[in-house]
Amino acid sequence: MTMLHRPESLDEACMLLAELDDAQVYGGGTAIEILRRQGILFTEDLVDVSRIPELRAVETGPDGVRAGAMVPVRRMETDPAIRRAVPLAARTYGHVANPRVRNTATVGGNVAHGDYRLDPPTALLVLDATIEARSVRGPRSLAVREFFTGFQETALEHDEVITAITVPAQPTDAVGRFVKMSSLSANDWPSASAAALLTTEDGRRTLHLGLGALAPVPVHLSLDVSGMPTERAVSEAMAAAEPLMDPIPDVRGSSDYKRRLGLVAVREAATDVCEERTHA
Amino acid sequence: MLDQRSSENPADNTTSPASPGLSAVGSRRRRVDPAGRVRGRVTHVGDVDPGSTSTAHVALHRSTRPHARIRSVEVDEALAIDGVQAVVTGADLYAALGEHVLTGPAFQDQPAMAYDRVRYVGEPVAAVIATDLATARAATESVHVDYEDLEAVYDVDDALTGRAFVHDELRPSAVFGDLRHLNGVRDTNVNYEFRLARGDTDAVETAATGVQRRFWCPPTHHVPMELPCTVAWVEGNRLEMLTTTQTPSYVRQTVADMLRLPLSDVQVRTRPLGGSFGSKMYDRLEPLAAAIAWVLRRKVRVVASREEAFLLTTRHGARVTSAMRADADGDLVAATADIIYDTGAYADVGPRITGKSGMVASGPYRIPNVSIRSRCVYSNKPSAGPFRGFGVPQVTWSHESLIDELARRTGEDPYAYRRRHLLREGDVAAMGTVMHSADFTGCLDAVAEAVDWANPPERGEGRWRRGQGIAVGVKAVLTPTVSNAVLQLNQDASASLLISTVEMGQGSDTIMAQIVAEVLRIDSHRVHVVPADTDVTPYDTITAGSRSTYHTGNAVRLVAEQMRERLLALAAEQSGVPAGELRLTEEGISGSGHPEPLRVEDVVLRHFRARGTTLTCASNFTTDWVPYDRNTGQSAKVTEHWFAGAVAVRAAVDTWTGRIRLEHLAVSGDVGKAINPFLVEQQLSGAAITGIGHALFDELVLDQGQFVNGTLLDYQLPSLGDMPDRLTPIIVESPHRTGPFGAKGVGETGILAVAPAIANALRDAVGVRLTELPLTAERVLNAIERKRAEESPQESRQQSPQESQEGNQ
Amino acid sequence: MSRISLVVDGNRYVAEITDSALLLDVLREQAGATGVREGCGVGACGACTVLVDGVSVSSCLALAERYDGARITTASGLPADDEVVESFVECGATQCGYCIPGFVMMAHELLTENPEPDKEDVVRHLDGNICRCGTYAEIRRAVLAAAEKRRAR
Repeated sequence: MTMLHRPESLDEACMLLAELDDAQVYGGGTAIEILRRQGILFTEDLVDVSRIPELRAVETGPDGVRAGAMVPVRRMETDPAIRRAVPLAARTYGHVANPRVRNTATVGGNVAHGDYRLDPPTALLVLDATIEARSVRGPRSLAVREFFTGFQETALEHDEVITAITVPAQPTDAVGRFVKMSSLSANDWPSASAAALLTTEDGRRTLHLGLGALAPVPVHLSLDVSGMPTERAVSEAMAAAEPLMDPIPDVRGSSDYKRRLGLVAVREAATDVCEERTHA
Repeated sequence: MLDQRSSENPADNTTSPASPGLSAVGSRRRRVDPAGRVRGRVTHVGDVDPGSTSTAHVALHRSTRPHARIRSVEVDEALAIDGVQAVVTGADLYAALGEHVLTGPAFQDQPAMAYDRVRYVGEPVAAVIATDLATARAATESVHVDYEDLEAVYDVDDALTGRAFVHDELRPSAVFGDLRHLNGVRDTNVNYEFRLARGDTDAVETAATGVQRRFWCPPTHHVPMELPCTVAWVEGNRLEMLTTTQTPSYVRQTVADMLRLPLSDVQVRTRPLGGSFGSKMYDRLEPLAAAIAWVLRRKVRVVASREEAFLLTTRHGARVTSAMRADADGDLVAATADIIYDTGAYADVGPRITGKSGMVASGPYRIPNVSIRSRCVYSNKPSAGPFRGFGVPQVTWSHESLIDELARRTGEDPYAYRRRHLLREGDVAAMGTVMHSADFTGCLDAVAEAVDWANPPERGEGRWRRGQGIAVGVKAVLTPTVSNAVLQLNQDASASLLISTVEMGQGSDTIMAQIVAEVLRIDSHRVHVVPADTDVTPYDTITAGSRSTYHTGNAVRLVAEQMRERLLALAAEQSGVPAGELRLTEEGISGSGHPEPLRVEDVVLRHFRARGTTLTCASNFTTDWVPYDRNTGQSAKVTEHWFAGAVAVRAAVDTWTGRIRLEHLAVSGDVGKAINPFLVEQQLSGAAITGIGHALFDELVLDQGQFVNGTLLDYQLPSLGDMPDRLTPIIVESPHRTGPFGAKGVGETGILAVAPAIANALRDAVGVRLTELPLTAERVLNAIERKRAEESPQESRQQSPQESQEGNQ
Repeated sequence: MSRISLVVDGNRYVAEITDSALLLDVLREQAGATGVREGCGVGACGACTVLVDGVSVSSCLALAERYDGARITTASGLPADDEVVESFVECGATQCGYCIPGFVMMAHELLTENPEPDKEDVVRHLDGNICRCGTYAEIRRAVLAAAEKRRAR
């Protein structure tokens, strides 16, 4: 029988996670309900963290955004302050599934799910976000660039709960773009996605790329494109991204086809940021 | 995206020009209870007491093997679970009902639950009966089956050449009498073979140009949004059920046969269906629910989850190896086709599909020499059955790709080339039947004009290339069939129509009311159509195959005409004016000598001398056919009438990703006469949208007989984002001499030609010919790359080496 | 088992539920809200969409326990003169109608957030809903018409 535990504080949640043999943190639940239905997830003890007020907090400032783990994905997309501080992240969150799922799914659950096809990690990687987690052993921070460790695997310990994600402010002169490509119906999971951010610091132009659905984990890379015309920067970006792609073949396409879609995604995203086109 | 002709003329409650005030034949009136539909207040079968505690909830333990003998079924662990009341196995049902537990429209091959052998992954083996659905579903995990694996048949090649057989012998059912000669045939997976021979295709050696290809349409699923649900119970010694079916009359007969009850002791009721498209027909949940209810003497409720619904039926995957040839003048001289329909573990109506679709495999063209072989084969996969189009989209995919290629080969415009070969009124088609009311040229012209065919798009040179494609389809209406209608005229001049046609979104309740209204000169909103209930509504073959408007519509027209004569006779009696001089109008019954019309209300009141009384009439409409010759497929009348449909497409192709974008899709259908033009347009565009899915991405993927994408997270369906930029449904009306007001059906017409029209636009845009559906972006991109690799850089885009070779065959 | 209370279309219900009960089943079985329908069970079709305090939710993916005290609106509970319902009726935006209440709820959310949507906005917001009868053109027209109707009132 499923047991739903509903702690009202982080300490209580951490205690439960430490005490129970095989407990599962329950955030928005959109992924968990699907996995349970498919018989992939059997856990009987669910630790519902929706009653912990601090997990719902959003702080925005000149440094960026700190979003509690239980903040709905949809708020990341629509909150004006978040859109101002981290426009690339906000736009990328707006591509997750559909608005209903975005209303329920949470910032913390999204990354904890660890699915290689998810959209937000591509932007979080590019923006160098940090994930905050807690357990009975105390809090710790994990760089999102080190968070995804394998297919459906993250660096999170089984007794840890994500408490927040911190996204550093996107430099005001940086240009971001997210491109998502499906290979079958329009509203399907992506077969390739790419988030691109072009930053300029002391005359040095750096192109940051985050790739989704193109390897067992979301992938990040950066390259120096100082002084390069768009065409050259884009081809360098494609050349740098290609060896990092290792797509999983499935009903949506072969590995080879997904790699080619991935290159188109990189090409489009990189071209647009180099040409300063930021449309969603 | 929308360019429906109706855009400035949506559904409304205004009147037809011919019958002002009545919303009768020709009116674009809204469908029955539109606000109820929009608000979700229309009740479907699954909405009746979904959490009922007095009903036992059934969940099924399903086979994990594609083909295996059942050694034993262990149920004790499941029975020990709190809330589980009983577990019934296939063997239990077999013990109670014997061979009667086997049902099926073509072959009596499908057990309500597997008892000795499982034939596909997902076949029910045991039913857990519990206090609630969640408990029942969870407990199915605690049923354990010991299997002895058998060699499995996974595809059409295995079926034709392998040593494994899905069934030991063929066992024709009592439903389709013409399959009797197959009784007892052993050691084959081919359960039916249709042959058509006209002229002599072998003699056509001199053909100047020919195209030959092998085509593939994968299995797909209907995915109506409503999940299948059956509630069955025993009342006295009767079996009663409420179920999601398009075939209540068939289900009644099947259950009566299974339980050996007189028809009067079986009641099958339906509610409006939340879509079906052929999926809720024949033997789905009903035999199983009836058998369990009968054995346990309990009210049971079976509802399929979405994942289970995928297992209940599919559309036939089909391979078509075909050729078309033309002489030096470009005239079509010969067509051949070898078709294999994969019907899965149980035949369902596979044999019917094989024959009725095989016979149109050469298309709606004048071709003197035609040779067709069409076979239906068993395999160890979920059973395939009818799906909007009844196997015809699979052969249309073949003939419309071939003729397009042939046109290009002969240097003619694909539209003009089709046009000069299309069958015209009075022509004899390949199977020997004369064409009537099948306006192929009208349909083709309409879509060509809509997409401005004469001014083709600039092909372009960069990432995006553009092209246009066109295709036409032909399908026969289900024949022979039987329809009945009972009409009660209420004393207040409203009417209740009793028919067994099932409303499932196609709008039958609305248009049948319009037919009654037209004849009786009353507002169609005053005609109530009673949902199918075999205790009350009379026999009707099925609600499928686009047959209802014509067949049931004719029965309804006839019963309304009878009622009109009855009223006139009563009025004659009451007024002394001869009936022949009286007329029924909107105002009532009037005659030359009677300026003041008699109100219908008063005529009925005077007749019975009571308020609230009813006048009742009944009628029948039956069509007949000449069965086709077993060797030549020839029949002087193979069908009551034909559907003609055409599609034209303007598409853009992304040469970076292979994605096809539909800029404009026009779909036309000859419906004889549109009883309700708005609903006809919805049928045309709705069918086209389903066809777009089939063309671009919709496909059931199986691996070793197991579904890979059998959930809506993975199975692909068109949504708003997949709509063409413009979609234009076009009604063509070539009245049928015996249709009600000239009408024929429309449900399937719009789907027939969609996939080939899109493939032909792809061919036009980038010069590649794909023969496998769906036209996924990956397939398109690979084909573009192959073509690039084959061509030397300076070569023109005219012909690939492969094509030139074939041109010499 | 626990007890929750829900306000569904203005009426208050108390429901006995297990910890794993889904909001969809509780609404259908204990609040009589059968216009909320299961189509896929995985949040991919939208037939079970309800508004919780004005926000769209796939009730097939929602644990009922978390909605204790929530105010839930279904298409059945919309006011008599609701612009979205009226526009769907006027535009003929139904065939079998099974999925339509879900589209209506998504349209409501969209119009609350964006009173002047264009065609692309409608596609973006409603693209996660499936109408297998293929009523998309009529649906899109109806949503745009509802927006206009609202602005005129």
